[in-house]
Amino acid sequence: MSKTLIKIENLHASIEGKEILKGINLEIKEGEVHAIMGPNGSGKSTLSAVLAGRDIYEVTEGKVTFNGKNLLELAPEERSREGIFLAFQYPVEIKGVSIVNFMKAALEQHREHKGLEPLSPAEFLKLMKEKKELVEIDSKLTNRAVNEGFSGGEKKKNEVFQMAMLDPKLAILDETDSGLDIDALRIVANGVNKLRNEHNGFMVITHYQRLLDYIVPDVVHVLYDGRIVKTGGKELAFELEEKGYDWIKQEVEA
Amino acid sequence: MALKTKISKEDFINIFRKEDDEVLSIGNTKETALKELEKLEIPHKKLEEWRHTSLNKILHHRYRPAEFRSLSKEEVNLFSIPGLDAYRLVFVNGFFITELSNTFDDENKMFILPMHEAKETHKALFEKYFDKSGILASNFFTALNTAYSTNGSFIYFADNFVADKPIHIVNFSDGQSRKTLAQYRNLIIAGKFSKAHIVNTYHSLSLNYTLNNVATEIFVQDGAHLNFNIVQGEGVDAAQLNYTKVIQEDNSNFSMHTTTFCGMLVRNDLKVIQKGSNCETDLNGLYMPDREQHFDNSVFVHHAKSHNNSNQLYKGVIDNKASAVFYGRVLVDRDAQKTNANQLNKNILLTKYAKVNSKPQLEIYADDVACSHGSTTGQIDEEALFYLRARGINRRKAETLLLTAFVSDVIEKIQIEAIKFYVQILVNNRLEGDKKDGQCLMIDECPACD
Repeated sequence: MSKTLIKIENLHASIEGKEILKGINLEIKEGEVHAIMGPNGSGKSTLSAVLAGRDIYEVTEGKVTFNGKNLLELAPEERSREGIFLAFQYPVEIKGVSIVNFMKAALEQHREHKGLEPLSPAEFLKLMKEKKELVEIDSKLTNRAVNEGFSGGEKKKNEVFQMAMLDPKLAILDETDSGLDIDALRIVANGVNKLRNEHNGFMVITHYQRLLDYIVPDVVHVLYDGRIVKTGGKELAFELEEKGYDWIKQEVEA
Repeated sequence: MALKTKISKEDFINIFRKEDDEVLSIGNTKETALKELEKLEIPHKKLEEWRHTSLNKILHHRYRPAEFRSLSKEEVNLFSIPGLDAYRLVFVNGFFITELSNTFDDENKMFILPMHEAKETHKALFEKYFDKSGILASNFFTALNTAYSTNGSFIYFADNFVADKPIHIVNFSDGQSRKTLAQYRNLIIAGKFSKAHIVNTYHSLSLNYTLNNVATEIFVQDGAHLNFNIVQGEGVDAAQLNYTKVIQEDNSNFSMHTTTFCGMLVRNDLKVIQKGSNCETDLNGLYMPDREQHFDNSVFVHHAKSHNNSNQLYKGVIDNKASAVFYGRVLVDRDAQKTNANQLNKNILLTKYAKVNSKPQLEIYADDVACSHGSTTGQIDEEALFYLRARGINRRKAETLLLTAFVSDVIEKIQIEAIKFYVQILVNNRLEGDKKDGQCLMIDECPACD
C-alpha cells in the first residue's frame, strides 16, 4: 500500500477574522493526483496558501501532517525543503533577480537541508538545461529576471520549470490553467505529467474541467464554502462541467 | 566625552590659526573667506537645506587640527581595491603622502599633483581656477575649508587628452586618539574634449571622533567627459561634510556616483551648474546607513542654458535606527529651453525605526522642457519575499536577493568596472553581514573595526 503524503484534518483558517476554511479533511497518497474544484470564493486558493505557509492566514483549528511532520509548525522555506511546492496562481514579478540566481539559491538550500554539497556550476547548468527541455521552456526565459515582463503563459511555464528543478513530493497547482490558451495549457500539463511518478503527489486546484483532460486525476473533490462537500472519481469533473456548480450548491444547502 | 554645550563658530574658526604658507588659499581668498565666516552661520535645522540633518552630533566635541601621520605600504594596501589599475594619490588627514602616490606632471597630458606643489609649479593655472566656482561662500564649512584647508589633489587634463587609466584619490582619517578636524580640498579641471575617470575613497585608520571637511571644485570644459566617483567608508564615529561644486561648459558631459557605506554623519552637497548648452549630467548615489548613522545627499542641478539634460538616481537601504535624507533640486532657468531633467529617489526601510526624508524638487521657469521627478519609500515587498521563501530560500537570503536587486541598477551606473565590482562586494557583505553585527562594511580591510 502506498504511503500517505499529506493528511489534512479538520483544517480551519481565517483571514482578518473571517473564516474561509471551515474544516477540511483530505488525504493524498504517493502517486496520486487529486483535483480540487469549486466555485469562486470557495476557499481553493486559501487552502493552497495555508499549506505553503502564507502568514496572512491564521490557522484556527486542525492539523496537517506531511511526511510525518506537523506541517503547520514549519516556516514556508522549511515546507519547501521538506517537499511542498506551490505553483502560484499569480506568480510574483521579482525585478532584478535572475531565474538562474533564484534557482541556484533555492537549490543550494534544498541540498543543504538534505545534507548534500552544492552542485558545481557545471552540474547546476546541466540540470537547468535538462529541466528546461523537460518542461519545454524557452532557454531565453531563464536568463531573464523572475517573471518580469512575462506573459501569463510564460509565468505558468516558469512555475512548472521551478517545480521540475526542485522535484517536490507534493506539488500544489493553484489554478495553473487560468488565463492559458490551449497550447500553453498543453505544455504546462505535459510538464506536470512528465514529473508524475509513484513517489510524488499532486493537488490540482482548478475552476474548470479543461485542465483535467490533460492531467487526469485519481480523485476529484468539490470545495464549497470552506468544506469538501463531494468526493468522487474523474467522472465527477465531467458532471460539474456539464451541470455547473449550482447543482452542488443546491445539494449542500438542501 | 561629549561637551554639555555646543561649540561656537568662533571655536571652529579658532581651531586653525595657521600661517599663510601652511594653507592653500592664494591672494586674498583667505581674508575673503574669514570675512564670509563672520557672516555665515553654522548650518542648522531652520535652513531649508538642513532641515532634516542636525549637526549636533558633531558640535558637542572640541576638535583639534588633524595632524600629519605617515602610512606604511602595508597599511594602504589593506584598502586597495581589487583590480583597480589607477594613478594613486594618498592623503592622511589632508596631508599628502608622497612615497605612496604616483604624481604626473606633463602639460600636454595631465597633472596629478598635491595642491601645495601645483600652487607653486603651475601658479597661473592654479590661480585661474582656485575658488573660481564660487564654492567659498556656499556655506560655513566651505568657507572654513577655503580659509584653512591643508592640502588636496590638483588634477588637470589637457585639451583633447584621454586618460589611460583612472585616478584614485585615497583619503584616510586618523584621530590619533584625539578628536580631530581635517580639511581637504580637490581641484579638478577637465580641458576641452578631454576624457577621464576619477574615484575618491574615504577610510578611517582609527576609531575616533573625526570630522572631515572636504571641498571639491570641478571644471568641465567644452566637450569634455568627466566621471567622478566617491566611496565613503569611514569609521562609525567619523563625520564627513563633503561639498562638490561642478561647472559645466558647452557640450560637456559630467557623471558622478556617490556611494556611502559608513560614517557617523555624512553630508554630501553636490551642486552642478550647467553654464553651457547641450550639457549632459548624470548623478547617481547609493546610501546604506545602519545603526544610528545619518547620511544626507543634497543635490542641486542648475540648468542655465538650452538643450541640456540631467538625470538623478539615488537609492537608499536604511537599517536599524539609521536615517537618510535626499534633497534633490533641479532649477531650470527661463533660457534653459529644451531641458530634459529626471530625478528619482527610492528607499527601502528595513526596520520600523529606520527613517528617510526625501524631497525631490523641480523649479521650472522655461516653458518648453521635459522634467520628471519621483520618490518612493517602502519596505521589502512581502509578496516577493513569500514567493522566494516558498521555493526554500530562507528569509535572510531572500531579503538579500531582493535588496541586491533593488540596488543593482544604481550600481550598474558606476563606470569604472573595478569600482562597480568593489561596491557590489561591499553591498553583499553588508546584506549578508553577520560580521560583527554588520558594524562596518570595510570590516575585512578596515583597522577601525578590528
